[in-house]
Amino acid sequence: MEYAVWLGLFLPLAGFLILTVSSHYIGRRLTGWIACFTILMAFICFASLLLIYTHADMTPQSFTLYNWIPVDKIQAGFTVRLDPLSLVMTLIITGVGFLIHVYSNGYMEHEEDFVRYFAFLNFFVFCMLLLVLAGNLLLLFVGWEGVGLASYLLIGYWYHRPAAAQAATKAFVVNRIGDLGFLLGLLLTFHLFGTGDIAEISDRAGKEFAMGAPVLGLLTLLLFIGAVGKSAQLPLYTWLPDAMEGPTPVSALIHAATMVTAGVYLVVRMHPVFMLTPSTLHLVGAVGGVTSLFAALCAVGQTDLKRVLAYSTVSQLGLMFLACGIGAFYAAMFHLTTHAFVKALLFLSAGNVVHMMHGTTDMGKMGGLSKVFPKTHWLFLTGVLAMSGIPPLAAFFSKDLILEQEYLAGFEVLFFIALAASLLTGFYLTRAYCLAFTGKSRLEDHVLKAVKEAPPVMLIPVSILAFLSIAGGLLGFAFGKTPILEGFLAEVGVTLAEKEPSNIFLSPETWLSILIAVIGVGTAALIYTQWADRLRQPFAFLTRSFYVNELYWKGIVVPLKALSRFIANFFEPKVFDGSIQAVTYTAQGVSRRLQEVQSGQIRSYVAWMVVGTVILIVYLVI
Amino acid sequence: MDLSLIIFVSMAMFAIGIIGVLVRRNALIFFLSIELMLNAGNLLFVAFSRQWGNQIGLVWVFFVLVVAAAEAAVGLAIIINLFRSKQVVDVDQYNLLRG
Repeated sequence: MEYAVWLGLFLPLAGFLILTVSSHYIGRRLTGWIACFTILMAFICFASLLLIYTHADMTPQSFTLYNWIPVDKIQAGFTVRLDPLSLVMTLIITGVGFLIHVYSNGYMEHEEDFVRYFAFLNFFVFCMLLLVLAGNLLLLFVGWEGVGLASYLLIGYWYHRPAAAQAATKAFVVNRIGDLGFLLGLLLTFHLFGTGDIAEISDRAGKEFAMGAPVLGLLTLLLFIGAVGKSAQLPLYTWLPDAMEGPTPVSALIHAATMVTAGVYLVVRMHPVFMLTPSTLHLVGAVGGVTSLFAALCAVGQTDLKRVLAYSTVSQLGLMFLACGIGAFYAAMFHLTTHAFVKALLFLSAGNVVHMMHGTTDMGKMGGLSKVFPKTHWLFLTGVLAMSGIPPLAAFFSKDLILEQEYLAGFEVLFFIALAASLLTGFYLTRAYCLAFTGKSRLEDHVLKAVKEAPPVMLIPVSILAFLSIAGGLLGFAFGKTPILEGFLAEVGVTLAEKEPSNIFLSPETWLSILIAVIGVGTAALIYTQWADRLRQPFAFLTRSFYVNELYWKGIVVPLKALSRFIANFFEPKVFDGSIQAVTYTAQGVSRRLQEVQSGQIRSYVAWMVVGTVILIVYLVI
Repeated sequence: MDLSLIIFVSMAMFAIGIIGVLVRRNALIFFLSIELMLNAGNLLFVAFSRQWGNQIGLVWVFFVLVVAAAEAAVGLAIIINLFRSKQVVDVDQYNLLRG
């Protein structure tokens, strides 16, 4: 069993290493095989672990590979923790990750740098696995930084494009701000508990600290700042829409399986500590709520197909944090799971279009694509409906659960925010679908002739995801007493805030959420099929996402650049270089004087010797 | 003989030697001046040895003479080589060690 864990964790790393080392010797086909095979094997490892786990009635276990940092009080082992939460995460990562790997074979077929892409993709999966399996926070931080690096490398895959290079840098820098919070939280953890072991911290936090202890509040706040950076929540979300510059499967991987879910995972993983600090939880909920509504509004205004999906992710992540904020961690995890399926489906089916149209993502240049993409358009539509919360598709159950929890917990403001966000979800996704796939074609004729349906290597993974998006909601649907996923996760304390009513269809807010979803989808369908051509240009401030980017640019980047320029042009040459040059000039001056003494004239040496001797004698005599 | 007279002669010889080293540029004269200073020392050794009636001073004189002989051999060899390189024996021309 232990071997299966290590095998599952290190296989993607092995794939990365093999591909990196032999990048010049292996062909395209073999590259794809190696990359997909390692992820598939990892998936099989974790799937078998899940079977063993559930059937043998096991308890959470830790495995230590070796003592990683044995320094006095900081004892950090290379420890992985196998419990329901990490198992669910690993299955999502490797499962969805595998499908994306397979899909990439088709999507990247024309790329020169095939091997580099797959190597990084494997590395990405490895880092994320390390992140979710890590048994202590220090190791988690390694994975945390690893996914940051991998995302940088993959977003900037087309590094020769200035936009891509810039987006990659932006993702890295913005993430770094969040990482600083996480790092400080990590240090505070070591200061408070003397260990980074997550299980031990969870255990001791409740015993050693009172409810709402300020220092714990600070700790959770710092961890949450890290989560905000990684999960693209409100002040730090700007990197995610820009990350669309990367290849589409990478976007799918970032949004569905790896990277952005890390923040939600961190909050859920540390929930025993978060539960002790109600004030931070309120902040989590508020940030999540505001972000979900904000991003949903931004998504309405986007003209770029991938950017709609990006803002949609930000919005859905906001909903997950919203659920965390009231302590409904299971609802967040459930939504994370269904969102992973649906968002991967949306991205990959959008990727079919983008790939076949040679990188066009502007919806203004699409339209009427359902004729050209007879299969893809159904797949995309499935994703749209699933994400919008139309029953009985996947995200309906999870989103409804979040709404219901908000309602039952009595957070009415957040409930209505979430409701508005889901209304907008249906609206913007349907809008994207209508603009891209229905109506009159806005393609140029020669493009239209060249475009055809995606090959099977791309369609099959997407179809599997479509199936998961349809059926995935059943994971959280109560056939018996408790849903499968809920019962499984309850073991590690990831539960709901309020008791769920036995039959969800009896509660009014369920009908309200269905109604809202239908209204959202229906309105958009009506508007954009009937008046698509007139309404293509939406409100400018939504397209520019409330000018947040411009605000950051003017408010932070420009002053920072001015400061840097001041330092570079004044401080650096005058103060630093000046002081150092003063030293060198002094030394040079002194030595130039001394140089004159060394004339090479024997007679002058003798004269100096005589003078010295005389002085010595005079001194000794007197 | 009066000891003070001998001391005076020795000091005079030494002073002539120093002045010779300082003002003359010919390497050979330079060398002679050094010998003169050594012998000024020798003269003092002998004089004091006789004054105090022991032989330690005389022994030192022999040492000095031996060293002076060795030094003369080495020094003359150096001078010859210097002359070969520049065809002059003017010590001011040899300032290769200038910093």
